[in-house]
Amino acid sequence: MSNNGAPKQSFSFADPDKVQNILSQYPDKQSALLPLLHLAQSEEGYISSAVIDTISEIVDCHQALVMDCVSFYTMLYTKPHGRHIIQVCQTLSCSLNGADGLVDHVTAKCGIKPGETTDDNRFTLMKVECLGSCGTAPVVQVNNDYHESLTLEEFEKLLESLK
Amino acid sequence: MPIVKIDDTDFTVEKGTSVLQAALANDIEIPHYCYHPALEIVGSCRMCLVKVEGMPKLQVSCNTFVGDVPSDKKIDGKYDMVVSTQDELVQQEQKNMLEFLLLNHPLDCPVCDQAGECDLQDYAFKYGNAHSRFEEDKRVRPNEYLGSQIVINHNRCILCSRCVRFTREISGSSELFVEARGYNSKISVLEEKPLDNLLAGNVADICPVGALLSTDYIHKNRIWNLDKQPSICQDCSVGCNVDVFHQKDQILRLTPRENHSVNKFFMCDKGRYGFHRFEEIERLTVPMIMSEGGFIETTWDEAIEKTVDELNGAGKGIAGIASPFHTNEANFMLGRLVNGNVGTLPPITSEEINYPSGFRISGDRSPNRHGMNDVCPSIVDDFASAVERKDIRFLYLLDDGIDRELNELWKGMLEKIDFVVVQSYAMTDVSKCADIVLPGQAPFEREGTITNDMGRVQWLRPSVTTKGESRPDWEIPMLIQSKHAGVEGLTDVSSVMNEMGKDFAAYSDITFFRLGDQGLPLNGKAEE
Repeated sequence: MSNNGAPKQSFSFADPDKVQNILSQYPDKQSALLPLLHLAQSEEGYISSAVIDTISEIVDCHQALVMDCVSFYTMLYTKPHGRHIIQVCQTLSCSLNGADGLVDHVTAKCGIKPGETTDDNRFTLMKVECLGSCGTAPVVQVNNDYHESLTLEEFEKLLESLK
Repeated sequence: MPIVKIDDTDFTVEKGTSVLQAALANDIEIPHYCYHPALEIVGSCRMCLVKVEGMPKLQVSCNTFVGDVPSDKKIDGKYDMVVSTQDELVQQEQKNMLEFLLLNHPLDCPVCDQAGECDLQDYAFKYGNAHSRFEEDKRVRPNEYLGSQIVINHNRCILCSRCVRFTREISGSSELFVEARGYNSKISVLEEKPLDNLLAGNVADICPVGALLSTDYIHKNRIWNLDKQPSICQDCSVGCNVDVFHQKDQILRLTPRENHSVNKFFMCDKGRYGFHRFEEIERLTVPMIMSEGGFIETTWDEAIEKTVDELNGAGKGIAGIASPFHTNEANFMLGRLVNGNVGTLPPITSEEINYPSGFRISGDRSPNRHGMNDVCPSIVDDFASAVERKDIRFLYLLDDGIDRELNELWKGMLEKIDFVVVQSYAMTDVSKCADIVLPGQAPFEREGTITNDMGRVQWLRPSVTTKGESRPDWEIPMLIQSKHAGVEGLTDVSSVMNEMGKDFAAYSDITFFRLGDQGLPLNGKAEE
């Protein structure tokens, strides 16, 4: 479901040229869906229902199709999130190598469960499926960076470094 | 053409036929969920796996197509493809697939409305294991409303995505989508765009399991208690083929019946839920005659005698009002009664809707305008002014029914006529203008033929018994006509069809037997 009943605002891309540039790279409009979503997220922080409306108009498809795509990818957020997004891989290798301990650590330290954001908007914690780095488990992705073979101590240091 | 060997039998098929289509067309069962003949192929349920010789692993038969193989590459020098549906590996895989599909399934068949017509239940029984190795807690999700008439039970859903494809390809409204992925996937709808289009009811039909349910039928009955009557929808001129499910003279639901010349696999919600409006009507079951104090009950003998007397007294001033809501047979007998001097009431219309898939909801709400015009060829559309010109003293109306509202012009006109006979099933606006009301059949009681707007004659079959002393719609004008003319009456609806064929060449070779459950185009004029 989209953005839990928040008041609907309208969204428009900051730079229409960027949108045109993306559209021009694909043979049909719908192919531009993912890059447009990434662009919108970089501007808005998350994919609001207003974003979905705007993009569905640009690529000429129903909102449900856009939502189908948005909900499929964990890197697209449907809710506002904190300054730092901590994504802990929970698939097999990471799980065996203590990913759960990392999640519990954040929960104990910051008082947030997976999917939640701290009150000061500093962290959002997420459990994600395989990050594709099983050889260096456990892996945590913070924003756009991978942190591999983490021990609890290293993880704690990492958290402290994020303001 | 390619030759495919399925198990031990050879079949010659068109190039590009899928293995599943080839098998189903030849009564070989391959279990499947996501494949539906009206929808795009996705090959997602993995239930239709078969062994294809020369291919390294099992193949989904819905998405494996038979092609032309060069003659030197043919298997056994003859076959383009050799398929096994009974291989041990296939059977094991079917067991495994069902075990996966049932991991989180609540196994609540005793309270599930799909039980009895559920592919999951049937296949689990036929192809599955009787046990599961899954010992963890099952994933439990609450039911959700996808639209005002459709509720989803996520726990029963196998994510075949038939419903999603239906809204994208058939209704074109795209309300449904698969939310999230993997273990978290579920069928969902946007809050501000619920599944409320006029074809929404079909998603409950095409759902192979008990996940999508129509709120109209949920928890009402068990499917095996119901009788299924193949018939025709009477809510617009398209004439969708339907199955009417009923028990003890009560209709519980309508579902579409496959007919590729008419409605393919689907029907609209107007027709699907339309039967409810006949449930609460005050059904007229005895002849009523107008006296000074209002309508009083009378007997059939008296009613017919009185009508014939008035008919005799009216000389040439007799006319009839045919009805596009009635069968060809009723309209034909009316035409005969009034010597072809027939008019009609203004049409009842609504907006015509065309869907991208070609499915159509006609703007004409009556089911049989084409047929009525065929068997009453000299029909007068603007009958009200015709009455002004002619001296009509006796008028016999076939009532359109409860959907008809009578305007002031018509009410005034009916008042001017000396004697008005109305044949109806309820005290409608039209019945109230009558001097005598003869009780005919309600829509789901009728039997006869109706002709849709493409000129296809179809067999309308009764789903419930005729109430009280009401008589078949063709029989009432027939009784009056035979008494009036002093001839022997017709005994059944087939003999009416026979007579009708004598007068109208287009209908000459039509019998119920020939119509069957798919109907016939009129003299090949209809689009086949």
